Amino acid sequence: MKTRIATYVTITILFLAGTSLLAQKFEQPVLISSAGQSADVKLVKMLAQRQGLNATTVLMAKPEDLTGFKTLVIVPGFSSKGLGAAGISQQDELERVQSLIKAANDLKIPIVLMHIGGNARRQGQSDSFNQLVADNSKFMLVVKQGDEDGFFTKIAGARNIPLTLVEKIAETAEPLGNLFK
Amino acid sequence: MIKRTFQLVLLLVLILNPGIRGQSAYPSTGMNGMAATAHPLASAAAIDMLKSGGNAVDAAVAAAFTIGVVEPDGSGLGGGGGMVIYLKNEQKSWFINYYGRSSERAAELDFSSSRDHSTAMAIGVPGTVAGLLMAHERFGSLPLKKVMEPAISHAEYGFPIDQTLAKLILDNIDKILSDPATAAVFLDEGFPRMEGEILVQRELARVLRLIAEKGREGFYEGELASSFVEGIRARGGVLTEKDFASYQPELTIPLHGTYRGYDILSSNVPQSGISLIQGLNMLENFDLKASGHYSESARTLHIMAEVDKLIYADRYQYLGDPGFVDVPVDGLTSKEYALERFNSINQSKLDPPRYRDAEYGDPGVFDENYKKEQVLEAETAGGHTTHLSVIDKEGNAVALTQTLGLFFGSGQTVAGVLFNSAMTNYSYNADNVNYLQNSKQCRTSITPTVILKNGNPFLILGSPGASRIISTIIELVVNVIDFGMDVNEANLAPRFYCQKFEDYLHVEAGIKPEVRAELEWMGHPVKVYEGIDLFFGGAQMIYVDPQTGEYSGSADKRRGGIAIGY
Repeated sequence: MKTRIATYVTITILFLAGTSLLAQKFEQPVLISSAGQSADVKLVKMLAQRQGLNATTVLMAKPEDLTGFKTLVIVPGFSSKGLGAAGISQQDELERVQSLIKAANDLKIPIVLMHIGGNARRQGQSDSFNQLVADNSKFMLVVKQGDEDGFFTKIAGARNIPLTLVEKIAETAEPLGNLFK
Repeated sequence: MIKRTFQLVLLLVLILNPGIRGQSAYPSTGMNGMAATAHPLASAAAIDMLKSGGNAVDAAVAAAFTIGVVEPDGSGLGGGGGMVIYLKNEQKSWFINYYGRSSERAAELDFSSSRDHSTAMAIGVPGTVAGLLMAHERFGSLPLKKVMEPAISHAEYGFPIDQTLAKLILDNIDKILSDPATAAVFLDEGFPRMEGEILVQRELARVLRLIAEKGREGFYEGELASSFVEGIRARGGVLTEKDFASYQPELTIPLHGTYRGYDILSSNVPQSGISLIQGLNMLENFDLKASGHYSESARTLHIMAEVDKLIYADRYQYLGDPGFVDVPVDGLTSKEYALERFNSINQSKLDPPRYRDAEYGDPGVFDENYKKEQVLEAETAGGHTTHLSVIDKEGNAVALTQTLGLFFGSGQTVAGVLFNSAMTNYSYNADNVNYLQNSKQCRTSITPTVILKNGNPFLILGSPGASRIISTIIELVVNVIDFGMDVNEANLAPRFYCQKFEDYLHVEAGIKPEVRAELEWMGHPVKVYEGIDLFFGGAQMIYVDPQTGEYSGSADKRRGGIAIGY
């Protein structure tokens, strides 16, 4: 049932966006990184492991870390605790993510946005990271609560980006795995 | 009846504040009672007690048990705290110190705060249950079962997770995952429960019911205490059944000071009312009002930051468990010592240029009983706590702050109780006053405070926020007393923080850019936080209008919660 709902939501949004998921190919190995240093990236790492993906997580990935990877998954979400632990400012983090995205685009490595933190990773300082990553993604996988105001849906519609919305974090595992099948 | 109240409150919460604790902060007024806590359900529990004929202590105890259920990240049965009680008719004040103690075997541990903070080794003997029961037994008027009803109900039937808790579950996922019993509470299919999901804690409800039926004995002795000890020791901790059975909260008097004609009643040592009083004593030597509010005057902020730096330096040097070390209480709280310390401040620039080079003073000169020399050391940053303020119709007031130590404490849940991380609050330098010893209390920043004007409660306040608590309380007090702000303005005003063991002057963006620029010119390394930030605490305040007697409450928007009056 849950899978059907997710599929339905995906298909609906694909239709609205006027594009096709099949047009974009995602391949392994996968580099997973954060945008905002929230702990959400650790959960995405777990999800990727559950799906048996060939994935490596680098919290503060730099352009040179992209070597050898065919897909970049970015998990946006601001965490002052995470930035503090990394010893960097929000501006430092934004600049790092911008350079990573630019390098991925230059290398034609597609970017997948995974927003799993719901309301806790929306508004305020999180949205600068959400916007940056969403604008540059080829696919968005979002826990629905984070899109209650249509933030990701609007970007998906405006930029013809496929978007899958699911109810719970655990439900992102299957669509994540399916991207690479 | 319980379910009905629960449903009504939930409805209220959903209408006023759709599941978002972190975005509330409604000012509230009343003449008959007021409660300001970090969660609407805890405030509602307190008001329910007042309306049922209970007094401020009944209300505070009900709110404290409830907040441990609905804000499980910040406090709970496995933690500790402190409570200042003011009984207006008797004109008497009391302080209950129910912070935890180290185990009788703590010295056997090879404990490292950085390595072991999320293990059973970090657990100290919890004091919350004994402290709340002592308050209820000594000063409460309603039956214990009645007072504990809301907490039991919310644990048994659940409550919707708000945004603050949802975010904290995400932020502390590693700690939660470290213990399957904790993960079973806060995760669903191995992933964080999200805002709006109902959090049910049936095992915790069982423990709460046991306490309601058997009192202290139900928690500290017998089968449950044995389960705690067995579970903690199986995970590497050292707590013993004797640790539980022998734990006693301390009923003493609050530390007393004055500030510009107001009486300050705050937590006694080794809690940090002493630093609040010292800081206010120092600021009494400066005309804050004439200098302008700190958000608009670099000079005011500089002076206040320098005061913070010096009181923190003294705190690290002198504040420890008075059962183990000599604390120069009289000296640290003397007006003469405060003047000496204030006169040491360079009013035009940061001096010395690094906060860490600030020197501690010599309060012993002003304290004929004091004699000991000690060694400085910073305590572990952290401390994620909760505060609640309550006043009843008669003007009896309670300021209560309690904690698990770090967010989610040690992360270890045993028999339904999430245990503290108190061991991270000790020094591991044998020359430090806060050095870990068996059965010792650690130094803590908590500063629950009641301020009186002519014997009547004027301001009841406190905050979580680890070492930021002290600077936050000082700012709140001067916002009301010196700058004439109402309680909500005072709570919403931008905050700042610095201390000896800091490399930055942390400021919220509400401190004007030109003020920040001038502070940098004066030598302060300024670090700006956009908007308002949980980093600076989450104060819960009640103000009593001296003319009308009307109560005004304010729950801090940084942490959320709600003040309810009637």
